[in-house]
Amino acid sequence: VESLSATSVAGVLLDLSGVLILLLAFACLASKLFNRYVVYYGAQSVVLSFAAGTAAVAFHSAELWILAALTLAVKGIAIPVAARRVLVTRLALKRDAAMSTGLSTSLIAGGALTAFAYLVTRPALLPHGTVAAAVVPLSTAVILLGALSMVVRRHTVAQLIGWLIVENGVFLGAITLVATFPFIVEAGIFLDIVAGVLIMVVFVSGLTRQLAEASAAELRELRG
Amino acid sequence: MTGLAILIALSPLTGSAAALAGARARLAGAAQAAGAAAALGCSLALLVILDGHAPLLAWDGFLDVDSLGGFFLMTVAGVTLLASIGSISYVAAQEDSGELSRFQVRLYFTFFGIFASLMLAALETGNLGLLFVLVEASTLASAALVGLEGRARSLEAAWKYVIISSLGVTIALAGTLFLFYSGSALHLGSNLGLTWPYLLAHATALAPQSLRLAFLLAVVGYGTKVGLAPMHTWLPDAHAEAPSPASAMLSAALLNVGMYAIIRFLAIAQARLGGTYPRAVLLSFGFASIVVGALFMVRRGNFKRLFAYSSVEQMGIITVALGFGGTLGLYGALLQMLNHALAKAVLFLSSGDVALRYKTREAGQVSGLLTAVPVTGAALLLASFAVLGSPPFGLFLSELTIVRAGFAHGSPVFPLLLLALLGLAFVPFARTTTGMLTGNAPQLASPYRDRSAVAVTAAPLILGLAALLVLGLWIPAGLDTALRHSIAVIG
Repeated sequence: VESLSATSVAGVLLDLSGVLILLLAFACLASKLFNRYVVYYGAQSVVLSFAAGTAAVAFHSAELWILAALTLAVKGIAIPVAARRVLVTRLALKRDAAMSTGLSTSLIAGGALTAFAYLVTRPALLPHGTVAAAVVPLSTAVILLGALSMVVRRHTVAQLIGWLIVENGVFLGAITLVATFPFIVEAGIFLDIVAGVLIMVVFVSGLTRQLAEASAAELRELRG
Repeated sequence: MTGLAILIALSPLTGSAAALAGARARLAGAAQAAGAAAALGCSLALLVILDGHAPLLAWDGFLDVDSLGGFFLMTVAGVTLLASIGSISYVAAQEDSGELSRFQVRLYFTFFGIFASLMLAALETGNLGLLFVLVEASTLASAALVGLEGRARSLEAAWKYVIISSLGVTIALAGTLFLFYSGSALHLGSNLGLTWPYLLAHATALAPQSLRLAFLLAVVGYGTKVGLAPMHTWLPDAHAEAPSPASAMLSAALLNVGMYAIIRFLAIAQARLGGTYPRAVLLSFGFASIVVGALFMVRRGNFKRLFAYSSVEQMGIITVALGFGGTLGLYGALLQMLNHALAKAVLFLSSGDVALRYKTREAGQVSGLLTAVPVTGAALLLASFAVLGSPPFGLFLSELTIVRAGFAHGSPVFPLLLLALLGLAFVPFARTTTGMLTGNAPQLASPYRDRSAVAVTAAPLILGLAALLVLGLWIPAGLDTALRHSIAVIG
């Protein structure tokens, strides 16, 4: 595997994208409104697709171009737009993405997890000076922050997007070492995510409908 | 040989094809069973052909079957066959009573076939990335089975299952990434470099620190699929809400596939790090699972939940056996996996018959099973004894092997603790099942259309119990060689 050096142009851009992705993960964690939460996730995916494009140029990889385009189209645009349209409008979700802990508590936990990610990955890294050495702690932190979002968010759709943030973190780690996964595997992972989102949306809308029917039934019983 | 391997993975799709073509439950179920029988036959043939020879390797390691893979293929294909036969009468009865619509029946068999096919394919690949892709896809296919009945409870269980398992498997993917990072000295450029036999052969060149992290993440991640505590929380809900033959597939096949992935990582970790660190990780998760499983069995209620918590306990026992290690520990672990798969398949399939006849899943509302439904009652009784590890069934033998492995590996504290916990788990499980088996037998209307459907219900129970009994009395020479070759593969 040819490792990019951290001082090359592509290396700096990847590092920068990694930092932005981490910041957007924090933004997701902290956003109180459901709309914002979805927008931040979309922005994170756009940055990720930019990072994939950078890696594609640096490694001369046509496959990474395809993945970058797919990331932009599906994760950057389609999922956020669909999440807002279908789930917020049609299922009439509350705009408030309910959290089970206070905002400050979850942010402090997020900071602690980021520090933990650096602590765990630092000694285990590639030789110093490679871009992977800089990006892997970032991607680990994004994975942990996504998992934290899943834990603190009460609503199912918010949990789903938390899982997608975890996936973004893994993908960020994967593109810094381009040869780790062959294209067929990357494409398979992508397909899994799309299928996963579809099946989860089916469950969520089924659950929401059931709950609506249940409350309607309660209303009918209280007559007279 | 390559053709044989492909045939194994594709043959369960017969049920999906029949369902998509519009077949009713009986026909689709029969097609499913025929496909599963073909898969089992082919995997037995493959196991005989492999017999310690060089593994089957094709397409840059994307296809890679050795004795260990062959052993798991046989287990999963066997369970699929039992569950497919069980599906015929179970789903047909639900279709006749109108509990499942025709659309739901088609959905059931479509996803059942895809689920089985994906699990078998996952056992056939040597590429760790593709392993993740297939395991995650099998999660999604089985989630559709869990949520099939469409009630609020089953949808909630399916949601919990898919979100927790997806997160878990994604963590395993992160573990896979760290494994590759640890191998950066190897310049893993080619696809072949990403296969586990290559990594095992070059384990000495892996960086120990990131390998440690990789192993921990893999155990946590794939352990979520196995149902190891504290990642087990999806398991009881999913097992309780899925249609019973699908519960049998989850408990007896899917959990084993997760365990297979852990064993692959364990082999690499042991080759580089020695035994101490992997042992500490596995014993911690294993004992935690046994304790959690045993404690939650105390609560009476849904009998499928009881069986599910017993699965958590059993997976804990297998993990502890892997932690004990050595030839004896691995032998016990593999044998326990096969035995548990058979016993749990019988338990869940008989629970399906009970649920259909009594129209409840609450243990407290079931009584007199032995008088009311003698065959199913007897199967439930014998399989309960088997799962609790009493002779003459296979689990007695494998648990004895595991305890012996524990004493052989040093400190007697762990095997003694294991024995105590096994005794602790016995009481609540036996109390609940005895309550179901004895007492007054109510008058029950048969949910099945005719006598042949009753016979089809009984067939997998008798088949599974017969296999369990044989394994308890005598380990066939072929199985013994297959187990020894599998252990040699792990090293």
